[in-house]
Amino acid sequence: MIWNQIESSSREKIEEVQLKRLQETAQRVYSLTPFYKKKFDELKITPNDIKSLDDISKLPFTKKQDLRDHYPFGLFTVPNNEIVRIHSSSGTTGKPTVVGYNKEDMDLWDEVMARVYTMAGATAEDTVHNAYGYGLFTGGLGFHNGAYKVGATVIPSSGGFTDRQVMLMKDFSATILASTPSFALHMAESAKKAGMNFKKDFKLKAGIFGAEPTSDGLKDEVSKTWGIDYHEVYGLSEIIGPGVSCSCKHSNLLHIFEDHFFAEIINSETGEVLPDGQRGELVFTTLTKQALPLIRYRTGDITSLTHEPCACGRTMVRMESIVGRADDMMIINGVNVYPSQVEHVISQTEGLTLNYQIVIDKKGHLDKLEILVEVSDEVMADSIAAMGKLKTDIETAILNNLYVNASVKLVVPRTIERSMGKAVRIIDKRVLEGN
Amino acid sequence: MKKYAIKQLSIFVENKMGELTDITTLISKNNISFKSINLVDANEFGILRVIVDDSDKTKKVLDDEGFSLTITDVLAVEIDDHVGSFNEVITELSNNNINIEYTYTINNNQKGAFVFKVASSDLLNAAEVLHNSNIKILEEI
Repeated sequence: MIWNQIESSSREKIEEVQLKRLQETAQRVYSLTPFYKKKFDELKITPNDIKSLDDISKLPFTKKQDLRDHYPFGLFTVPNNEIVRIHSSSGTTGKPTVVGYNKEDMDLWDEVMARVYTMAGATAEDTVHNAYGYGLFTGGLGFHNGAYKVGATVIPSSGGFTDRQVMLMKDFSATILASTPSFALHMAESAKKAGMNFKKDFKLKAGIFGAEPTSDGLKDEVSKTWGIDYHEVYGLSEIIGPGVSCSCKHSNLLHIFEDHFFAEIINSETGEVLPDGQRGELVFTTLTKQALPLIRYRTGDITSLTHEPCACGRTMVRMESIVGRADDMMIINGVNVYPSQVEHVISQTEGLTLNYQIVIDKKGHLDKLEILVEVSDEVMADSIAAMGKLKTDIETAILNNLYVNASVKLVVPRTIERSMGKAVRIIDKRVLEGN
Repeated sequence: MKKYAIKQLSIFVENKMGELTDITTLISKNNISFKSINLVDANEFGILRVIVDDSDKTKKVLDDEGFSLTITDVLAVEIDDHVGSFNEVITELSNNNINIEYTYTINNNQKGAFVFKVASSDLLNAAEVLHNSNIKILEEI
């Protein structure tokens, strides 16, 4: 089943829609956003220079930093009273990245999420167990509204309380699971411990997984353990949230809803546009967004594109599952974390040196973030309680600033590995086989 | 009363093999003598509290090798060998609203001592209280 006819339209038809929308978006940002007006002027271009889709390469890039520089609403192109929803992600130096939606944007989001659900075989007959976190993070509400749009029953379980979630998933006969892949495996462990039978006790037929990098091995494990079809969803709040692209059951590649989100792959260093099949940084231009249209937004995600037709009948361009990052962003249990955010917290703690190390590992199926902090003479106290408090204070600050749980380990100075005199900041022990 | 303050070094140690030996080896190598050693530990880390014959030199040696430490003033009283001698000390302090943060005993040259830490604002007061009660406070150990 395909939700919208446009998904299987001819290339000519898709490009015709894209060009018209690209011209409108260029016009929109040029006339409504001083930031873009200035950028266009600097490049000596106007929206009228967009005569073909290839002309998109004349347009300026947008970076995450640009959103931060205009915190909170500086890049919005609608009046605040038209905004119906705000989402945000954690920020590097205390200021989060903020995104806004007007009514039309919400309809667009519902539309692309309905396409995702349909791709996973969900209809009004289904019950969706939604274990993505509800809140400022776009995952929970994005999946929630999309399920409503296709008419399915949605169980808004959000994150945490694994044992209870497993029980509800069984008792409410959920047929579609929406969660991060690692949480799906975590739930499987819990179900196993409770002595449940995956075939008899659950009615699940498919899962829509995303929000973290996933190897083919991990996908197979989730799919086999639960005995369900694995659909990978991709998205980022700056573009819409989940629902930018999704994989059908014919391959691991993700169909990009390119009538709304125009995708390019560029060389991260030079900005040059790369052809199909070559890996580079994924860049999106929103074609229909109203409140926060973005031109050539650099996602930092590394992947490649292909226009080859898919057996499912969809003709939209497909992307590989993300293979890496162009920057040092880490993903911890679905939450994006930059080392600079950790550094910010440490620098705010009086007496600590910036000699720290981030160690990421797996505990069971979940990510475990450990931060090694060197104890300086300034923070050394002759009391176990005071040292224990230092540890928990840093942990609390990390949770408040980064929205992730970390365990802080106090270590003797100079014990953190140095490479060429510089501390090795990140040790990622999670192995992503297959990438 | 300040003469009674004894310098104790509190050194941060991780709970791992060889950590303690690194410190003791370093101190011995520099011909510094331990007067007392007391190790307290939490789950992942500990504090090694030592009294040495040359605290300034020890601090320098440890700092140079990258250990973190802090110097704390503690009091030491001679253990009088009769039943209830500890109790007398504690009672005196308690009657004067002085709280003992931690304590340990040491044995040097057949004489024992009772080392304890009070809040630094209470230190001089504690020394005075004990002195007035004819409890023998040690100037060095």
